[in-house]
Amino acid sequence: MIDEAAAPPLVGVIAVEISRGVAASHAGRLLSSLGAETILVEPLEGNPLRREPPFLPPANEASALFAFLAAGKKSVTCDIETPAGRAGLSALLGAADVFIHDLRPDERASLELDEQALRAHYPKLVDVSVLPFGAVGPKAGWQAEEINLIHASGEGFLLPNGLAAELFPDRPPLKVYGHFAEYQGGVVAALGALSALIGRAQGEAESVDVSVQDATLAVGAFALQRFGDGSLEHRRTRSFKYGGVLECADGYVELLTLEERQWRGLVELMGRPDWMFDAALSDALERSRRGAEINRAIRAWALEQQTADVVARAQALGVPMAKYASPAEVLSGPHERARDLFQPVEIPGAGRLPVLSEPFHVDGAALPLKAGPPRLGEHQHMLAARRRRDQATVAAEAS
Amino acid sequence: MKSLAGVRIADFTLHAAGPFCTHILSQLGAECIKVESSARPDIFRKPHPVYGRMGPASFDQVASNKLSVRINLKDTKGIALAKKLVGVSDLVCESFRPGVMERLGLGYAALAALKPSVVMVSVSSSGQSGPDSHFAGYAPLFGAWGALGYLTGYEDGPPVEMRHVMDHSVGMNAAMAAVAAVYRLRRTGRGGHVDVSAREVACSLVGEALLFAAAGGSPARIGNDHLRMAPHGVFRTREEDRWLTIAVRTDDEWRTLVKLIDAPHLLTDPRFQAAASRHKHRQALHGEIEHWTMTREAGEAERRLQAAGIAAHVSCNMEDIANDRHLRDRGTVVEVQDSTGRQRAALKAPIRFSKSDVGMARGTPRLGEDEDYVFGELLGLSREERQSLMDQQVIY
Repeated sequence: MIDEAAAPPLVGVIAVEISRGVAASHAGRLLSSLGAETILVEPLEGNPLRREPPFLPPANEASALFAFLAAGKKSVTCDIETPAGRAGLSALLGAADVFIHDLRPDERASLELDEQALRAHYPKLVDVSVLPFGAVGPKAGWQAEEINLIHASGEGFLLPNGLAAELFPDRPPLKVYGHFAEYQGGVVAALGALSALIGRAQGEAESVDVSVQDATLAVGAFALQRFGDGSLEHRRTRSFKYGGVLECADGYVELLTLEERQWRGLVELMGRPDWMFDAALSDALERSRRGAEINRAIRAWALEQQTADVVARAQALGVPMAKYASPAEVLSGPHERARDLFQPVEIPGAGRLPVLSEPFHVDGAALPLKAGPPRLGEHQHMLAARRRRDQATVAAEAS
Repeated sequence: MKSLAGVRIADFTLHAAGPFCTHILSQLGAECIKVESSARPDIFRKPHPVYGRMGPASFDQVASNKLSVRINLKDTKGIALAKKLVGVSDLVCESFRPGVMERLGLGYAALAALKPSVVMVSVSSSGQSGPDSHFAGYAPLFGAWGALGYLTGYEDGPPVEMRHVMDHSVGMNAAMAAVAAVYRLRRTGRGGHVDVSAREVACSLVGEALLFAAAGGSPARIGNDHLRMAPHGVFRTREEDRWLTIAVRTDDEWRTLVKLIDAPHLLTDPRFQAAASRHKHRQALHGEIEHWTMTREAGEAERRLQAAGIAAHVSCNMEDIANDRHLRDRGTVVEVQDSTGRQRAALKAPIRFSKSDVGMARGTPRLGEDEDYVFGELLGLSREERQSLMDQQVIY
């Protein structure tokens, strides 16, 4: 028997996932990494994320996106359009604690997976709907991809800021790389699932409705707060007065000095140039006013610097500075290695590769990834076993 | 009833990421007791000239819905008082630089010795362990360390700074991991330490790109492009600085779009026949799409595209968000009253439950506003004891 007290937090929890998008898939991954058993129910042709780029070289068969999101999950295939498929899903849901999905409300009704049906058939099951605009509201049926959602939540309009906005003031606003908004939706859906599980222990199971737009807006709360203060933020005016993205001889660094001691550290870092001793510049507000002038000097200095050297010296002086690290640099970073951020797992069609665990340690260590992504239907036996158990229960009840 | 009712948090977090975590937990029902002091108040109580705020904030989202007490952690009696507070709490949250809580005698080992079931959540820029754990950092640095900043940007431009969304992404991850630990606590009685690293949160937002790189691929800045879809981008409309986002996923959607924008010549243009070819010629393709969007108002075009089943949305500013019918109907955007009595838009925690409640019951607390309840009722200090601690600048 598993010693639950010594195990990862969610050992013993069973989650069933039907996903098409990144948000629901990320929620299933988070629960799995935290110790739950996440069973990915896929259509016969496989989860659509298996066909999304980028594909892992050199074979270019396995999707990096799917491999990252499905690491540690179990896979069963089930055509839920057919009665047999629905019976299979039903067997899985009957034994599960959480059902995460991104089915549209109209689909749910026709599949008998709407709230009332779930509550009636699986009274202990927490179900979590993760949709672009949520399951309720005037836009509940709207279509959206990442680029639409990051703009629907306000952050897209505010990017880029800093150097990129200065260099390209007339270009369209910019999305964050990849699936930023959808990942937010995934974290919030996992949070909703876990909160409902805690609530279930005190009462009953319930349904959870998460919207990627809401989740992304939540992390953009500060801009709405600024609007309440009377300022409508805009990408062209929200840059730091000085510092920010700096080009060095061999790459880019970020510099941000908000406190007085950090400015003094910067003076040291730059070798105490005369202009920084201008008495007026000892006043933070004056520095803000003369930000453009200060930045010209900082940028000219930065161009002469090597990133690794200047960042090490800055941090030693208490000056907040970081290199804009490339993915390859992050992968080989000594800090990341020391924290076991990446863990080698087997990826069908691509071999053994390091996959990111989760961005937190629990009980003093990184969460162990249980496995790589599953092959399509790799755990089909689970479905048969659950169905046999179901049939046995029905037979026992009938006799 | 809220799902985290009965969970109490001793909240030592400051600034943005940590306070956002406990703010979300408080909206889910946890009782959050925010610890500050007159000597070290949180930033929202001070002027913020960079943002043109010359006094304390009249409303601070991440401080809202919390109870406020003063404890001077520079005094040993203050530490003793903080430990008493931990003694009646389930969760301890903090966002100091690694090592500070240990120096104060409030590190996880010390608190777990005092109360084995305690769940502690530490939020820091690089985590509690590893060679860079002492590094100073803010949101843009987290994004830089974690490759998210490197990958975000125009194809021919520099990396891009992540701002408050980065802090709050860290806080949301911390809240999620905290609730997982509370789940285990409730089930097994076991506490634990959750150590959230902000730079790793940035990494987790580009997890697939890091894996692609590990296999020998070279992920790079691609602006508003998608690796597969085209058309896909942010388009000008006839309104100044009013942009429309469009993503076309399938051949069917492509044909629908061409019909809707009445540009049949695109269907016969050999460059735009197959999806892969559309992607290859996306620059020219996007020019064609913009011919149409430039003649439209953004909102009208959005509605027409959505009615045809095509993923489209206006690029919203915060005024749009504050007044959005959908967000109001969902209860995502709510009205609150700030400390001056003015109404303003704020955000409810982004989860709707069919049974449990969520949300804010109160605004931004005054410093020390809840000491009668916390020090008096919860910790059982008499008026005299409290006065004495105030005279000694322990409650300060």
